[in-house]
Amino acid sequence: MASTIASEDARYRQSSQYELWSFSPSQLASMREKTNAAARARITERLLSMPNPSNTASAPTSSANTPDPDGVSTPTLPEFLTPAEELLLVTFYTAELLRAGDHADMSDEIKATAATFFKRFYITNSIMTYPPQEMLLVALFFGCKAEGAFPSISDFAKTFGRERPEEILAGEFLLCQGIRFALDVKHPFRALRGAIMELSTLPDVEPARLVAAEQRAREILRFSPLITDAYFHFTPSQIMLAALSLADRGLAERLIQDTFHYVAPQPSSGTDTPATSGVETPSGASASISLHKRTASPSSGSLEDKAAVIGSHVRDKVLGTIEACRDMLSKELPERREHWNNKTVYKAQIQPIRKKLNKCRDPDRWNLVELQRIRREQASRKGFDSDDEGEGRTKGGSLEDDAAVFGVPKKKKQLEDPFGPPLAG
Amino acid sequence: MSRPPGFSSGGGLPSLSSDDMCPVCKTIRYLNKDMEFLINPECYHSMCVNCVNRLFNDGPNQCPYAGCHKTLRRKGFRSAFFSDLSVEREVDIRRRVAAVFNQQEDDFETLRDYNDYLQMVEDLTFDLVWGSEAKRREAEATLMRWEAEHRAEIERNRKAGREADELHRRRLQAEREAARQRRLDALREAEEERRDRARSREAELDALAQAGTQQATDGTAQQRVQLKKRGQAANRAVDAAVAAAATAGDVGKLSIRGLKEKKKAPVAEGPYDPFGGMEFVPSRYRVREELNHPSLDKYRIDQQHITGGYSFLDYISRAMFEAFAGLAVFIEDEKEAGIGLSAGEVAGMSAGMAAVGDKMELD
Repeated sequence: MASTIASEDARYRQSSQYELWSFSPSQLASMREKTNAAARARITERLLSMPNPSNTASAPTSSANTPDPDGVSTPTLPEFLTPAEELLLVTFYTAELLRAGDHADMSDEIKATAATFFKRFYITNSIMTYPPQEMLLVALFFGCKAEGAFPSISDFAKTFGRERPEEILAGEFLLCQGIRFALDVKHPFRALRGAIMELSTLPDVEPARLVAAEQRAREILRFSPLITDAYFHFTPSQIMLAALSLADRGLAERLIQDTFHYVAPQPSSGTDTPATSGVETPSGASASISLHKRTASPSSGSLEDKAAVIGSHVRDKVLGTIEACRDMLSKELPERREHWNNKTVYKAQIQPIRKKLNKCRDPDRWNLVELQRIRREQASRKGFDSDDEGEGRTKGGSLEDDAAVFGVPKKKKQLEDPFGPPLAG
Repeated sequence: MSRPPGFSSGGGLPSLSSDDMCPVCKTIRYLNKDMEFLINPECYHSMCVNCVNRLFNDGPNQCPYAGCHKTLRRKGFRSAFFSDLSVEREVDIRRRVAAVFNQQEDDFETLRDYNDYLQMVEDLTFDLVWGSEAKRREAEATLMRWEAEHRAEIERNRKAGREADELHRRRLQAEREAARQRRLDALREAEEERRDRARSREAELDALAQAGTQQATDGTAQQRVQLKKRGQAANRAVDAAVAAAATAGDVGKLSIRGLKEKKKAPVAEGPYDPFGGMEFVPSRYRVREELNHPSLDKYRIDQQHITGGYSFLDYISRAMFEAFAGLAVFIEDEKEAGIGLSAGEVAGMSAGMAAVGDKMELD
C-alpha cells in the first residue's frame, strides 16, 4: 500500500461514528454547554410566555414527582440544571439503561448501541427538554432494531411496564433525528475477539491467561466506555486495548508493541524474526517476537510509508492515547455499577437534581406522545394546504403555539430540515 | 454628454400626458389633434413638434424652458418611449452604462467576482441616475475613464455579444424551421396514411364484391399483405424520424435551449470504483488460517453454520479489522485540527437553535 495512512484507519474515518460523533473533550464540553444554554433560553422564553403555567399537558408523563405549584402568574423562573448536573443525570440514566437492558436479557451490542444512542442524543438535546426516562426506553428499543433484533413493541412495552406502545414509539423519530441518523455504532466487542485471536498465536502466552484477560476486558467494555465519554473521544480499537490493558496490561502492550514494530532507520533490524526468544516479560517491552512477517505483506510500500503506518513513533502516540483512555475507563470500572444502582447514592446525588429537573423542564416537549401528536397534526395540515403556509398557520393553533412546538422563532417557518433541529438544539 | 446641472433641483420632469398642453407654446391638444411631444436627452424637457421645428430648425438654440441653459440641436430630439420621463432618462443612462460595462460572467474567475462587478456597475448607475451633483459627476468621470481605458476590450465584448446574439437568433430560426418542417411532414404522413387506408379498404371491398365465392383464406392473405404494407409504412416513418434526427444533428445539437455548452469532453476515468479508491489490504495485521478464537470452535462443527456456507475466515478478518481499525486515529488532535468535519462545520452544527434558524433564513 502506497499511502501513509493505514487502510484500516482510512476506513474507520469513513464511518459516521468518526465523522459525526467523535469530538475532542473541549469540543464536547462546549457542545454540552451550548445545549444547556439553548435549552435554558427556550424554556425561559416558554415559561415567560405562559401566563398560567398549567402543566396539565405534561403532567401525565412524570409519575413520581408532580411539579411544584408555581401556578401564580408571576414569571418566577426555576433554577436550571447546570451542564455538570445534566451530565451526571445522563450518566445516571445510562446506568439505568444498562440495568434495564440486563433486565430484558439483551445482548451486549444492543445495550451498548442503546447507551450510545442515549448519550449522543443528550449531547445536542438537553435533559431538561426531553424526558430521560422515556428516551431511555426509546433508545433501548431502537438499539434492538439497529442491532438487528426485532422485538415486538407490545412485548417490549410490557417488559418495562408500559401499557401503551405509543409511549415508546413516540420518541423514535425524535431519537433518530437526535443521533443524526447515524445508526451504526462501532463497538469494541468484536475487536476484543480479534485481539485475542492475534495474541493466541503467540507461543508464549498461556491460554488461561488469555481467557481471564478477555473475560475481564469484556466485563469492562460492557460498562465503562458506555458510562464515560470514551466512545466520543476514542476509537473502538483504542477502547478495546485500554480495557485489555486494565485487564492485563502486559498483553495489551505486547499487542501494540508488536503491531507498531517497524523501526525506520535500520532496515536490517531483525523485526521479522518469528523465533521464540525464550522467556518474554509480561510487560512486553521487547518486540523481539514479532507476530507475523510484515515485510511479506504483498503491497508494502516505501519505507517512509511503513514508518508512518507501523513505525515506532506512532506506537508511542498510540500508547499515550490508550493510556488516556485507560484513565477514563478506570474511573468507571464495572464495580461502579453498584455505585450507580445504590439507593443511598441515588438519594444523595441524583434525587436533588431530579427535583430540580422537575421544575425546570420544557413544558411543551416533556410529553413525547403529545408532542408527536401535535407534530403530526402540523405535518398533515402542512401537507393539506401544501404551499400556502400563511393560511395554514392561521387556520389551526395560534402562531405562538406552533412556534413553541417547533422551537423556532415565529417568522422562520421554512420547511423543516429533514435531519431535525441542529445538533445543539 | 453631461447631465444638466439643475436637473434634479429643477423640480422633477413634467409628465408628458398629464396635461395635453405644450409647455412652450401653450398649444393644447384640443386645437391640434395630432400634436406630438419630443424630448431631447440633453435635458429631457418636452415640447411639441411645432415648437421644436420653430426653435431649432435654424440651428442650435437654447432650451426654451426657464432656467435651463442647455443648447439643444434639432437632431437630438426624439419622441419619448415612456410617458414618465424619469424612467426614460434612467433607461437611457442604463443603456449607456451597459454599453460600456459589457463584461460577461465568463470573463470572471469566480461567481463572486462577477457579482461584485455587477454590484459596482449598479452602484455607478444609481449614482448617475439618482445621485447628488457631486456623485453624478464622479460617476460620470469613472465611466468616461473606464471607457477610454478599455476601449478595445469593450469593442471586443460588444462584437462578441453581437455574434452571440446573431448565433442565438440563427439557432432559434433553425429550430423554428425544423419544427415547421416536422409539422409539415407529420401532416403529410397522416394524409398519406389516411389515403392508404382508404385505398386498402376499397381494394378489400372490391375483392369481396368480385370474388364473393372465393375462399376466405384468400381474403385473409390479402389482408395480411395489407397489414404488412401498413406496418412497412409505419416502419418507414420511424426510420425517417431517426434519419431526420441524425441529419438535424448539426442543428439539433443546439436544440436544448439554455444549456451551457461544454468546453471539452470529460476525460475517461477508468472503471467505476464504488469505494472511491479505498484500500482493503490490511496494513497492520495479516489474516491467516491459524487465527482462531475458542468461542468459534463450537460453530465449526455446528451443522447449521457450516451448511449455509458460513465462512469463518470472514468473521476472523472482520474481527481483526475491528481490532486494528482506527488504532492510530487520534480523535482529539484530528477533531481539533478539523480533519473529517471541519472545525467550522462542527461549530456550525453545535450552534444554538436560534443561530441556525438565522442561517436557514439566509439560505
